[in-house]
Amino acid sequence: MNYSYMPGCSLLSTAKGYDSSARAVVKALGSELVELEDWSCCGANAIESVSYLLSVSLPARNLALAEATGSDLVTSCSSCFLNLFKVNHRLKREPGLKTKLDEILGAAGLHYSGNIRVRHLLDVIANDIGIEAVAGRVEKKLTGLKVVPYYGCQTVRPYGEYDGPYLPTSMDRLIEAVGADVFPYLWKTRCCGGVLMTTETEIGVKLVSELLAAAQGADCIVTVCPMCQMNLDAYQGKISAKLGMKMNMPVLFLTQLLGLAFGLPSEVLLLDQNVVPMNPQLRQLQNA
Amino acid sequence: MSESTTKVGVYICQCGINIGAVVDCEAVKNHAATLPNVAVARQYQFMCSEPGQEMIKKDIREFGLNRVVVASCSPRMHEPTFQAVLKDAGINPYFFEMANIREHCSWVTRDHVEATEKAKRLVQGAVARVFWQEPLESREVPVTPSALVVGGGIAGIQAALNIADAGYHVYLVESDASIGGRMAQLDKTFPTLDCSACILTPKMVLVGRHPNITLLSYSEVIGVSGYVGNFKVKVKKKPRYVELGKCTGCDECTKVCPVEVPSEFDMGLKNRKAIYRPFAQAIPSAFVIDKKKSPCKITCPAHIHVQGYIALIAQGKINEALDLIREQIPLASVCGRVCTHPCEDECKRREVDEPIAIAALKRFAADNADPDRPIKMGALTKKQKVAVVGSGPAGLSCAYDLFRNGYRVTVYEAMPMAGGMLAVGIPEYRLPKGILNREIDAVKKLGVEIRLNTKIEDAGALLKEGYRAVFMAVGAHKGNGMEIPGKDLKGAYDAIDFLRETNLGRRVAIGKKVAVIGGGNSAIDAARVAVREGAESVQVFYRRQRQDMTAMTAEIEAAEAEGVNLNFLTTPARLLEKNRKVGGMECVRMELKELDASGRGTPYPVKDSEYITEIDTVIFAIGQTPDLSLITNVKGITTTRQGIVVVDPATLETGIAGIFAGGDMSWGGGTVIEAIAAGKRAAVSIDRFLQGIDLKEGREEDPLRARDIQVTIPAGTKEAPRPPMPELKVADRCSNYREIRLGFTREMAIAEAERCLSCAVCSECRQCEVACQPKCINHDMKEEILELDIGSILLATGHDFFHAPSLPQYNYGRFPNIIESMEFERLCSGSGPTGGKVTLANGKTPESVAIIHCVGSRDSHSNSYCSRLCCMHAMKQAHLVKERTGAQVYELYIDIRASGKGYEEFYEKVQREGVLFIRGRGAEVVGQGGQLVVKAEETGLGRPITLPVDMVILSTGMIARKNSAGVASIFHITRDQHGFFMEAHPKLKPFHTNTDGIFLAGTCQAPRDIPDTVAHASAAAAEVLSLLARGKVAIEPLTAQVNPERCSGCRVCIALCPYQAISLGGTENQKTVEVNEVLCKGCGVCVAACPAGAITTRHFTDRQILAQIEGVLAR
Repeated sequence: MNYSYMPGCSLLSTAKGYDSSARAVVKALGSELVELEDWSCCGANAIESVSYLLSVSLPARNLALAEATGSDLVTSCSSCFLNLFKVNHRLKREPGLKTKLDEILGAAGLHYSGNIRVRHLLDVIANDIGIEAVAGRVEKKLTGLKVVPYYGCQTVRPYGEYDGPYLPTSMDRLIEAVGADVFPYLWKTRCCGGVLMTTETEIGVKLVSELLAAAQGADCIVTVCPMCQMNLDAYQGKISAKLGMKMNMPVLFLTQLLGLAFGLPSEVLLLDQNVVPMNPQLRQLQNA
Repeated sequence: MSESTTKVGVYICQCGINIGAVVDCEAVKNHAATLPNVAVARQYQFMCSEPGQEMIKKDIREFGLNRVVVASCSPRMHEPTFQAVLKDAGINPYFFEMANIREHCSWVTRDHVEATEKAKRLVQGAVARVFWQEPLESREVPVTPSALVVGGGIAGIQAALNIADAGYHVYLVESDASIGGRMAQLDKTFPTLDCSACILTPKMVLVGRHPNITLLSYSEVIGVSGYVGNFKVKVKKKPRYVELGKCTGCDECTKVCPVEVPSEFDMGLKNRKAIYRPFAQAIPSAFVIDKKKSPCKITCPAHIHVQGYIALIAQGKINEALDLIREQIPLASVCGRVCTHPCEDECKRREVDEPIAIAALKRFAADNADPDRPIKMGALTKKQKVAVVGSGPAGLSCAYDLFRNGYRVTVYEAMPMAGGMLAVGIPEYRLPKGILNREIDAVKKLGVEIRLNTKIEDAGALLKEGYRAVFMAVGAHKGNGMEIPGKDLKGAYDAIDFLRETNLGRRVAIGKKVAVIGGGNSAIDAARVAVREGAESVQVFYRRQRQDMTAMTAEIEAAEAEGVNLNFLTTPARLLEKNRKVGGMECVRMELKELDASGRGTPYPVKDSEYITEIDTVIFAIGQTPDLSLITNVKGITTTRQGIVVVDPATLETGIAGIFAGGDMSWGGGTVIEAIAAGKRAAVSIDRFLQGIDLKEGREEDPLRARDIQVTIPAGTKEAPRPPMPELKVADRCSNYREIRLGFTREMAIAEAERCLSCAVCSECRQCEVACQPKCINHDMKEEILELDIGSILLATGHDFFHAPSLPQYNYGRFPNIIESMEFERLCSGSGPTGGKVTLANGKTPESVAIIHCVGSRDSHSNSYCSRLCCMHAMKQAHLVKERTGAQVYELYIDIRASGKGYEEFYEKVQREGVLFIRGRGAEVVGQGGQLVVKAEETGLGRPITLPVDMVILSTGMIARKNSAGVASIFHITRDQHGFFMEAHPKLKPFHTNTDGIFLAGTCQAPRDIPDTVAHASAAAAEVLSLLARGKVAIEPLTAQVNPERCSGCRVCIALCPYQAISLGGTENQKTVEVNEVLCKGCGVCVAACPAGAITTRHFTDRQILAQIEGVLAR
């Protein structure tokens, strides 16, 4: 099955490894992520405080483009997911919004009827493609690897569309499907600080250090959001200083982990693009 | 009524500013005056006031009015008021019509011009309609002077006492074993800190003693029919298994009961036994046995009390275990060895790991109990003699039961020893003769006569010899043989003969290469005996596949371990001769095609697939039939084409009265336990036959199947393996007949028995019966159905509490010391699991406790409403924690609701005690580093806080009971959007339902605390008393009427009536329907559905309705 796919801007830059491994993993599972032509910024987090209408129109533009292709829209970035999903949610509940949106999109020659669904990549892999199919594609079982499933907040809250809002399990099941062990973790959906890591770094560091401290003992963390990955991955120096211990926890994208188990080539997984280098177990698994 | 004589008075009410500020009442009045038949039109500020009502009465007198229209509020408010006015003035109250120009007009229309226009039209409609209205009379029905109170919590208790004290009879139905409800579980109550039990129990005792109250505890209402004043209520009294009047509450029984389950009263913090009293002050104070259906007992064809003897073995009471088994069957050791144990296939333990080794445990008990233990039996009280033909398992079981029941029984056995197939079919290595004979001897020692070497030629003759009944159980000892060329050659045997001869100790000449044909237990037995008789090679030939074999898997595997070879999908076509003996066998390969009745593929020979096997002995094991010579001369007993006897499956009667048959002779080959079940069934039939009682009544099999039983696996059940049966090594057994399975040791048996999940709770081990001094335990009690005539019903069924796991952020159940408020009540109670000490799970005293308010309340993710009493009980609990432990207590709240009398003062007191109140909803509770950490926002400081504490109490809100939907439908009442029972009006009628005669008391209607519950209950009781005291009640005449001339008797209306008020009547030639006017509520469904227009509702005729419509639409 083919899906209309919007990578989002992070996946073109800091999270290239997520994009390339996601496309390859989905292809290896027999489906395809077809990039939506001319997709644009979803609005990320900041726009809504500047202009409500803009915060709806920006993602709605992508929905209009996707609707024209006739398929649902899949995205791997949790922020894009939430922004796109909110458009559908708001259209159903706010009486005057559709008229305004029609006018704004119309000025750009576009139209959105509200008829397509927005899906997160994790949902598509865990529920459409399915755990059994993933397990069936595994070439090297990641036996003994202790993996923390970190979902972040935007993919399961506030709408809880496809999994529980506090202790979801989709990633856990996929981790088990590739033979690895799920590291017991209570902070699966605890906030990583989001943009605060750049604007109020002290707060961001505080939040992330709790997340990383609780992950001690695991071999790696996997996540499905480029913001979460960046926050957990790129600041471990500062966090080590704060916690007074040397922190060296590799933070992978879920599709990088799945790709490892599928035996996909390292040029596709781009694990070396992560800030914290792979530890010996992961390196060994890659080279095997 | 003609146009000229109708005089309508129209009154427009301003209702102050409600109507007057929106509708131009003067204009409406003027317009009304122009309408046809209107004699006078007025407008006034408040028509419902006395002057307003007087105005109408005056006009009736002066103008001779005979119709009145009032345009004002909803008829639900004041229709009765104005109807009373008409009545007072001497006019039939149904000549009145109201136009609702408030709720339907002035309150919902913004534009004044539109509202006035609408009001005019509504008045037009009312005036047009009232012209066609007819005078109607209410009827009165008597009220049965008795009340039903459903639910024995504080609400039900209070209401019952009020009604009973007034002199009327009350039936109080409570589904638990004791009254008391939730209040009995509380420790201290706010704001007085009265001990809950101390203020409740005196009322409970009063209820128990009151001459006007019939307390039906452990009972449920299962059906209600009828109408106000005349309800017919069906109550199911669940069997308590303890006789109420006799139980002294001495508590000896719980000491010996082997089964423990979590106590509901103690919120699962403590266990109780299967026999228990809910709490010490229970009313009734008797004990009760919690007994459900056990899958093993249901599956066993003989319905042996499996769970009972397993529970006894788990306690080391081996003798008692054997006693329990022998109460039902004489062949415990035998069954423990050879039974096919269908019970194990349904044992729910398999949902955890593996089923209990039930058969092996039965064997252990039988082998290890005191061998001289006597078998219980009654005296030989009955004069009648019964003959049993055949001493196999069916015959022996039948004789055993009949004899112990007091009949004189003689068993006739054709062979030189007793036991039937047990003796001459099953080989020694599976069932040693010594074991079998020991059990048969025990039966003989009882006094049962077994005549060996005596073949009965004519069963009918027995009846003439003085036997009043005969049970035939001769088994099926003739092998079917196989019709193939060479079957009569030397070396060709039938398995039944082969096994019998070897079992009798006689050698059978077999060669070196033996072939056994067949796939059942006889085939495997024959094969393994052939091994022991010295064959060099033994092969089994079966025409289907391995999974289709009917032999027990364990036996097949044992045979293969002993060197037996299995060949599948093959069957012999002919035997080849060599030196006038069997020298070889020609087989043909088979293939399976369509499934047959047994669900297995039908075998067909494959063309040109014949092949020769070199063998010198063939044993055919392909089926067995009974020797029916004993009934050849008995006319009236039918047999099938396959040569087995036809019997009634429920009673085992044959065509001849007094002759019964069962076991292999009536089904052509079954298992030992099925034969035993048949023998027992026959014994019951014969006992009834000889007493002249109906044979079938009350013997219907329970339709419940074991797989339909849902069992909750107790939390914390660890996986444990089933011990493998110790066996002789293969090398030690192939050349002899030593018993292969050696049996469990005592340690293995007790450990295995302890794995039992006690699915039925009470295991029927009967130890309580032994311990009970007043002898008040009766395990055979059945449920009783009572039918009561009731005048008025009061529902006080109470509430449940929200259960915290639904809110995962509180991690209830994932970390210790996170508890719900009711669990804390039990911890605090002197009668609770810790004797009143507030402790953590590890027994230590907490040093800090957080109490989180509004768990499951005021929350869009669970329940939106406020549960009203949790703030107060949370503060009470804070006080108790402080008092008992001195710990630091935090109350995390959103708002404090302390509005009752003394409540605000209590709040202040608790604050002074040093309890810290933090305004901010407790957001999350996690365990970290051995402590609990609560995250919340301190809204006063405007920042998030984390509180490390030892214990967290979640104040969970009240919710409607789980079964409230079912209860509502039984009583024909409705529920609100939260599931609580719906009141008739939230402000003025909070204890009425919309169903006449049914009232609500307490938390079943909405969350409330104890003082409000008591007030609500007494109010509802007052309504009940009002009905009962009046002795009669008026029924509105707005009911359906049938025109029999139009009714075609199609009966569409009967099925549609929600009140079952329509029935079929009329004459033989012309059926028409009739409406029971007392049951009819005038809903009109039948009117709309009737295809012939034969039903109309009074006061809502087509003519009236159409006139109203035309009036509204007129220009």
